[in-house]
Amino acid sequence: MASAGRLQFVLVTPEKTLIDEPVLSIQFPLFDGQIGILPSRAPMVGRLGCGILSFTTAKGDNKSYFIDSGFVQVKGSVVSLLTNRAFLPEEIDASEAKSKLEEANTRVARTEEEALSKLKDQESARKMIHMSKN
Amino acid sequence: MAKARAIIKRLKAVKNIRKITRTMELIATARFKKAMDRASEATAYTEKISEIVSDLSQADLEFSHPLLEAPKSEENCILLVLSSNRGLCGGYNASVLRNAQIRIKDARKQDQNLSVEVAGKRGISFLKFQGVELDQVYENFDDSPQFDEVEAIADRLIDLYIQKKLDRVDIAYTRFKSVSRQEAVLETLLPIGDLSENSEDADENKAAIDYEFLPTAQEILEELVPAAFKAKLFKCFLDAAVSEQISRMVAMKGATENADEMITDLSQKYNRARQTQITSELSEIIGGTAALE
Repeated sequence: MASAGRLQFVLVTPEKTLIDEPVLSIQFPLFDGQIGILPSRAPMVGRLGCGILSFTTAKGDNKSYFIDSGFVQVKGSVVSLLTNRAFLPEEIDASEAKSKLEEANTRVARTEEEALSKLKDQESARKMIHMSKN
Repeated sequence: MAKARAIIKRLKAVKNIRKITRTMELIATARFKKAMDRASEATAYTEKISEIVSDLSQADLEFSHPLLEAPKSEENCILLVLSSNRGLCGGYNASVLRNAQIRIKDARKQDQNLSVEVAGKRGISFLKFQGVELDQVYENFDDSPQFDEVEAIADRLIDLYIQKKLDRVDIAYTRFKSVSRQEAVLETLLPIGDLSENSEDADENKAAIDYEFLPTAQEILEELVPAAFKAKLFKCFLDAAVSEQISRMVAMKGATENADEMITDLSQKYNRARQTQITSELSEIIGGTAALE
């Protein structure tokens, strides 16, 4: 089980495993806000939101990705993140995100689900724009 | 020289065909490697999903989700057919389409309202020829299907199913079992029968872990079921892509071998024909001189 001070971080998308390496700490968005994970965390399963995933590698570098919903599983010293989409900040197309945001802003939501998906799309587009600026 | 000429012509044709089949074989081998790598990378995701499903199943909750519930009547159905865009792959398309036709006939018998969606030019042209109405065709799936494209299809199916405009989804594709074994199958995608079918073998060693669920197990499940469905559909597309390349590889290998055989056979025949011709010419000359003496 969890040996203290170590954390194995696995990031998988349906297409491939992006990251599988030891890290010091991880921060990512859950459905209701940011969460940070340090070694020896209690086991958990959670739903992800969209936003910025950042982690510190064993060498001390900070790296970040943009992720868009999915799940997290913490089991022993292994943290697995399953997400449909994950990309590096420099891969974000700011103009595309802007047009997406505009499209979401002008969309008329008639049902509760549509309203929810509108909010979600707006949020993800805003976060993408924000991240591409940094 | 008439017969020998004809044989030479044929020999040339066979040699050209051999070149084509040999090249196709090499291309298929390279593509197969690529498709195989993609498929094996994608299994990590599917495995994790089923792991979380089995984690959730410990939490003593009712597995209820619109996608898991079977509707009372099966009126509106969709059949997805995954065929290839290109030919020269042996019986690959034929066996997928045979299964598709079984399902189509079945639906007609039971008076179901079946709409057929086909990926791959081969399947499209075949089913059109058979007079089947196609409601949606996809030609954009090649040997490396993208998750985004598959997700779009999955989202549409999920929406229709939740709105109860759709009661059943079947898929006809080629399942990849091992490099030497692929089989064309007909599977029901929706309603999802059993979510945790793949996770049974891992049950013993994880019974002890007490997870914290954020927000709740039920809410995670609500998101997880569509994700599992998407992963499954994506896997179908990947399997189909890998199987296509394998069957092309096998078919082209056979074709190249046959061409080789024909080449030896034809060159032998040509040599014989040439020899006979020389012999008959010689005997004509000898006969001519004998007559002059």
